[in-house]
Amino acid sequence: MSASSSMLIDILKYTVAAATPLLFASMGGLFSELSGMLNIALEGLMGIGAFFGMAAAGLSGSLVIGALAAVGAAVLGALLMGAMTIRLRANLFIVGLAMNLLSGGITAVLSQWWYHTKAVVAFSLASPQVVFPHILQAIPLIGPIIFAQSWFTMSSWLWALAVAFIVRTTRHGTRIRATGMNAAAVAALGFSPDSSRRAALVWSGIGSGLGGYALGLSISAFVPNIVSGRGWVALVAIYLGQRKPLWIAASCLLFALAESLSNYIQGFSTIPPLLVLALPYAVTLISLIFAKKNAR
Amino acid sequence: MNPEPSLRSSTRLALAVGVSLALTCAVLAIFSADFWGALAQFFIAPFSNRYFFGNFLADAVPLTIAGLGVLIAFRSKNFNLGGEGQLYSGALVAGILALRLGSGTNPLALWIMVSIAGALVGAFIAAISGALKAYRGVSEMISSFLLSAIVMNVIDFFITGPLQDPASNFQTTRQIAARLLLPKILAPSKLDVSAFLALALVVGIAVAAERTRFGFELKICGENEEFARYCGIPFTRYSIGAMAISGGLYGLAGALLVIGSQGRVMRGFSSGIGWSAISVALLAQGSELGIVPAALFVAFLGSGSNQVMIGSGIPSEIISILQAVTLFFITAQALPRFRRRRNA
Repeated sequence: MSASSSMLIDILKYTVAAATPLLFASMGGLFSELSGMLNIALEGLMGIGAFFGMAAAGLSGSLVIGALAAVGAAVLGALLMGAMTIRLRANLFIVGLAMNLLSGGITAVLSQWWYHTKAVVAFSLASPQVVFPHILQAIPLIGPIIFAQSWFTMSSWLWALAVAFIVRTTRHGTRIRATGMNAAAVAALGFSPDSSRRAALVWSGIGSGLGGYALGLSISAFVPNIVSGRGWVALVAIYLGQRKPLWIAASCLLFALAESLSNYIQGFSTIPPLLVLALPYAVTLISLIFAKKNAR
Repeated sequence: MNPEPSLRSSTRLALAVGVSLALTCAVLAIFSADFWGALAQFFIAPFSNRYFFGNFLADAVPLTIAGLGVLIAFRSKNFNLGGEGQLYSGALVAGILALRLGSGTNPLALWIMVSIAGALVGAFIAAISGALKAYRGVSEMISSFLLSAIVMNVIDFFITGPLQDPASNFQTTRQIAARLLLPKILAPSKLDVSAFLALALVVGIAVAAERTRFGFELKICGENEEFARYCGIPFTRYSIGAMAISGGLYGLAGALLVIGSQGRVMRGFSSGIGWSAISVALLAQGSELGIVPAALFVAFLGSGSNQVMIGSGIPSEIISILQAVTLFFITAQALPRFRRRRNA
């Protein structure tokens, strides 16, 4: 195999892996977006998921308990946001801002308290490898790229499928979408738009929690600012994907590709990696400008 | 803004400030070995000597200027989420100008030029978001955030690439000649004369809001879009204009930091100011003059947190918790109409 094709495989393999946290978070955020709420706190909820997920996994030695803790903590955060915005009629944007601040503060303070460091908290977690049949691994290109991923990456695609199914076909998903389109009509039909909104926030908590946990697992550690903007990227991916699950997944891959390229092209190319990182944002902005005028 | 909840808003404000201070005490009680020592450090240290006091005031300066910017955007019902990028771009332009023109320039001329250039760049970037909202229906929150993300990556590229100081281990531009930096007050702290400019801006904008046609019409636009249109006020122009002023003040804040306390453009040096300025504007409850105490309060929490970190090992990130709680308490009614607008 030539060097360039093995590098291509490396880049694409890393891309699929880097898309995992984005896919979890943006598919969760899709629910709040569809219900008419711009949830800017995906970033903060991911941080909460990463910290509590890794802490619980490290304490129990079980990756499943870690995942449950990540989801539980992030959902609690989402419920707090729901209580603030729905009960207290607070402004969702400001509550989201506060949640992002709260997440950074709480994880740093607890990290100092529990682990006596604000720097890297490393965990030795044995992450089971998925054993793919040899026949799948032998497929050229696809084998080494897709059938070489962790079980968490594989489950992020199951999650994406599940979200697409829930949003499109279930009554629950329809109600959430209807709430975003016309809350008054939903109320007139005798359903509560508020409970749809609360449910949508919970979904975004689940997705963000898992996304943050995926980040922690990928380096088997918790570091401050581990999310470093990926929550925002996940939010942007929803817009680039025009709120359609398939396109959101493609958008996540695009952002992950930019991340992957910016890591790999250093030394190989004259294109500066930081400019590559700016590209997906530019693509998103352009796609929004040329999308048909939609209701805010 | 609306007369009805004005009493409640002052109660909420008192509650927000009171709870965040009480929470500070609680955090200190839980995490520090020496509670009274930590308490004294948090609340008294910023006032304990010239150096700490000057630095605390210096932290409030960019918050005041950028906070004014957020406030003006709020007036026109715009949320400017791109403050970090606008501040950073104002800083970069200021840095490039100061480094290119070199130490032979007349300092006063340079300060004026740099301030105007920084403000213009910030204003231009924010105005794009305003225009996209007006003409293409793109949410200004999303577009200003996206533009900010693009701009920050591009600036990071310049700082770590063509403008990188080869002699430094940090990712930063070269140092600006000392005689081109703003004169210090309260030396050896980092406070400089930009503090006076910040105060002048607060007073100037407060007067402009009350006394000028622009200020009056902008207020009407913020209170009732339909009424403003009915009165023949060009709502679109005001909306874009308010975004531009908002970005301009962010850019100015960045430029002043570079020719003031920073003296160079370091990678990521804007981190957090853009977001904290939003807290400042919310705490000020729509009043220009309120920006000053609000900025001082946020800066005070910040410098108190830093002091405590040095003294007792409590991470300075507790400031984020305090700010978050303050926001939670203040928001329930800071902009009560916004939710309805989104869901309408």
